[in-house]
Amino acid sequence: MDHLAQFIVAGLTTGSIYALIALGFCVIHNATGIVNFAQGDFISLGGLVIFTLLMGLKVPLIIAFPISVIAVTIVGALLERVAIRPARSRSIVILVFITIGASIFMRGVFKILWGKNQMGLPPFSGETPINFAGATLMPQNLWIFGITLISVIGLHFFFSRTRLGKAMRATACNPRAASLMGVNVNSMVLLSFALSGALGAIAGIIIVPITTLSFDIGVMLGLKGFAAAVLGGYGNSLGAVLGGLLLGVLESVGAGVISSTYKDVIAFGILLLVLFIKPSGLLGRGDTERL
Amino acid sequence: MKKIEVLVGILICILFLGNAHAVDPIKIGAIFSLSGPAAAIGTPTKLVTQMVVEKINKEGGINGRPIELVLGDTESDPTKAIMVVKKFINVDKVAAIIGPDRTDLGMAVKKLVEDAGVPTFMTVGGDPVIMGGGPLGTYKWVFKSPQRSSVAVEKLYDHLQKANLKKVALMTAADGFGKDGKGWLEKFAPKYGLTIVANESFNPKDTDMTAQLSKLSSANPDAIVCWTIGPAAAIVAKNVKQLGLKEPLFQCHGIPDPNYVELAGASAEGSVMPSTKLMAWEQLPDSDPQKKVIKDFVHLYNDVQKINKEFPINTHSGYAWDAIYVVADAMKKSGVEPEKLRDAIEQTKGYVGISGIYNLTPEDHNGLGTDSMIMVRVKDGKWELLQ
Repeated sequence: MDHLAQFIVAGLTTGSIYALIALGFCVIHNATGIVNFAQGDFISLGGLVIFTLLMGLKVPLIIAFPISVIAVTIVGALLERVAIRPARSRSIVILVFITIGASIFMRGVFKILWGKNQMGLPPFSGETPINFAGATLMPQNLWIFGITLISVIGLHFFFSRTRLGKAMRATACNPRAASLMGVNVNSMVLLSFALSGALGAIAGIIIVPITTLSFDIGVMLGLKGFAAAVLGGYGNSLGAVLGGLLLGVLESVGAGVISSTYKDVIAFGILLLVLFIKPSGLLGRGDTERL
Repeated sequence: MKKIEVLVGILICILFLGNAHAVDPIKIGAIFSLSGPAAAIGTPTKLVTQMVVEKINKEGGINGRPIELVLGDTESDPTKAIMVVKKFINVDKVAAIIGPDRTDLGMAVKKLVEDAGVPTFMTVGGDPVIMGGGPLGTYKWVFKSPQRSSVAVEKLYDHLQKANLKKVALMTAADGFGKDGKGWLEKFAPKYGLTIVANESFNPKDTDMTAQLSKLSSANPDAIVCWTIGPAAAIVAKNVKQLGLKEPLFQCHGIPDPNYVELAGASAEGSVMPSTKLMAWEQLPDSDPQKKVIKDFVHLYNDVQKINKEFPINTHSGYAWDAIYVVADAMKKSGVEPEKLRDAIEQTKGYVGISGIYNLTPEDHNGLGTDSMIMVRVKDGKWELLQ
């Protein structure tokens, strides 16, 4: 038990990433009702773009970060315009399958553009470990906590204080009524894809210095983020954050205290248990008031 | 009109001349992972295969007959590997097969080639493809060119024993490769007077191993031995530095690869591991018979084919070269009749290759011992040969 602080720090780091990814899932779910299987590829793309900017073009981090986020945001929006909208379908099955196809397509393109090798990215600010309450953390862990926190607060502010955010929530709640009130539902769907692209990119950019990078790095992370979203109550943003952090800590404490062989079994076992007892997830409430 | 007649005449001449000189090529099936997760291993292996075949054909082929490569892609998927190998056997009727490149793919096609009786030289890491008995079946037709995991474990343990590091903590991946390694690490520890004081595992896709490493360090080991391939090894190295662990980190024979240094950065410094001689060939004494062969290989790889632009040389680069050369040498001696070819491969003695000097027997379908390996340490981002 003497390493508990270390396990929790490790868990919160991975958990923050899961939370950001889970938020991306929520935003699209709330606008369209679908699960976006290309979410993981937004993560990969964020990492790949910043890799090219930093290592290839030697752009300073402070500029490369926003450019990468914007690039993936545009790809997210493009996905909606060229794949989702032309389908002219509200059938969830069709739209979900389109996102699966888009995911395979994107992964293929990444492989051609960036190759099949593993890549590495240096951390944002040095590799000197910091001691804190019996745990050692890297400066990159602090970056991850900080940027996740800012993103979550920013998202909350956007949804609760801005007209655009409120319009998105209205669309989530009842698209038909929102449309009658003069909200352009199509634009809201487009915006949701752009926004989840941005969230995926941020997650990818901050995690890559820790995990290393390849064209399919987002697949496993996307899956874990999806599990986190389900754990928290699919579609609920507070739930997504809570679910992500909880899943990360469960994995890490499970590995450290009980058995590293069964750590995924422990984490996903608890996920199943939560869903048996409360099928809507920890904070899931029903159809309205999800954002 | 005249022009056309002349052209037709020339064409006919070329066809006849061509026919008169055409020698029946020998077909060899080459199956590697060209797409999917293992593509970074399979693609350079394919390029090396093509490079060797081109070299052999330029030097006169197999007693005058050129080798014709039939390529196949496993897509890193055992089912696809089986389909490709079935095609090799039934449609292309290949004389021998080179590959596949990953243990699970090798195990998937093992029974097929054993039943069909096609000599198959794999480039896989795991030992079960050339082990027999029970569920493993037979291994009459399957060979492999990379060192056995057990050989790498013995090489590493020998080093630990000499360095007087007695208490070992194991950190193994929870996949086929890691479990195979863990088995050998546990089996050979007593032989080298080592005690395993802690045992942890991780998923090779995990992004953080500090939890396992903290637990390992509380057992106060003299050394940490990590057994995995791919980026997970780099994450382990980074986490060891992050936690400030003082124990030296040892990696397995799959890690000597410039990519490890690239991914782990400064954290890779000081990692020690068993490797093929390829990683530090320039530091070998000139008396080493492999040095010249490796020099030729590196020249072809880097300067002629320029494969290093996308895939810098790593410890695995020579496996396909050795596999094809052993098969081609056997063909020169005994022809392509399957039984005879198999027997000739089994009688290979003293073939000086990239990964070692091969001495095969009907029981040993790999033919490499601990003397084929060296210990290397990462120093200033380069590979330093340890004595």
